[in-house]
Amino acid sequence: MIASGVLRALADPTRRAVFERLAAREMTVSELKAGFSVSQPAISQHLAVLRAEGLVAERRQGRHIYYRAEPEGLAPLVDWIDRYRSFWPERLDRLKRVLKDMDQ
Amino acid sequence: MTDAAHTDDRDALIIDCELDEPPEKVWRALTVPELLAAWLMPNDIRPQAGARFRFAGDAATGDIDCEVLAADPHRLLRLRWRSPADIRTGHDLDSEVAFELDRTAAGGTHLRVIHSGLSRAAPRAVARASDRGRRPLPMRTARGRAPITMSHAAPPRWRAAA
Repeated sequence: MIASGVLRALADPTRRAVFERLAAREMTVSELKAGFSVSQPAISQHLAVLRAEGLVAERRQGRHIYYRAEPEGLAPLVDWIDRYRSFWPERLDRLKRVLKDMDQ
Repeated sequence: MTDAAHTDDRDALIIDCELDEPPEKVWRALTVPELLAAWLMPNDIRPQAGARFRFAGDAATGDIDCEVLAADPHRLLRLRWRSPADIRTGHDLDSEVAFELDRTAAGGTHLRVIHSGLSRAAPRAVARASDRGRRPLPMRTARGRAPITMSHAAPPRWRAAA
């Protein structure tokens, strides 16, 4: 399924927290690290996974790299949920027809 | 008619529908494999708690592995619902589907389908992002079992799994 990469990236609680913090505002790795008990290399690793899924983007300015959340990266997940949003009403309309055709 | 699906603050899709047939008949349509297959997907369901079975999905959905979490005849059927995206990512991404049946005064059935856990993997930021994004998600604000009203204006409150 198309959403699986995004879901996998967000399945990790630390990565989810990183994404949430970056959704609030742009930050450098060291600013980001301040809120977590994990090492800076670990944070960088999480950022790499999030970037690979299009959930985080980076911007260089001088010696600093700023990271920010990319809401558009969530589109596959939103699509996945939308699929079920139309799936159930369609199936329940079929259920009504099946019930009409059943004996008793 | 079948309601549109709504999203509640527990990250569930909820669909209500009024059926003319009594709960006993609706229960059969939910638990007899051939009848269930006629409206949902081919399956080998056994309506007993703990029973595992599979829906044979199409190319779009893939096969869906299920486990019966609760089976209270004519009242409640609750399933663990694991679709292919979930299998690859582990237990955290399982979702659940519950069918709640209530007898109506007219002798029919009020059926409520609750598909929960769809966004368990996603942070609150999903809701915030979809607010800003190209396609806002309609959210519902009513808590509990009050009649559902759809509110597009309400702030979404999706919960990230802790």
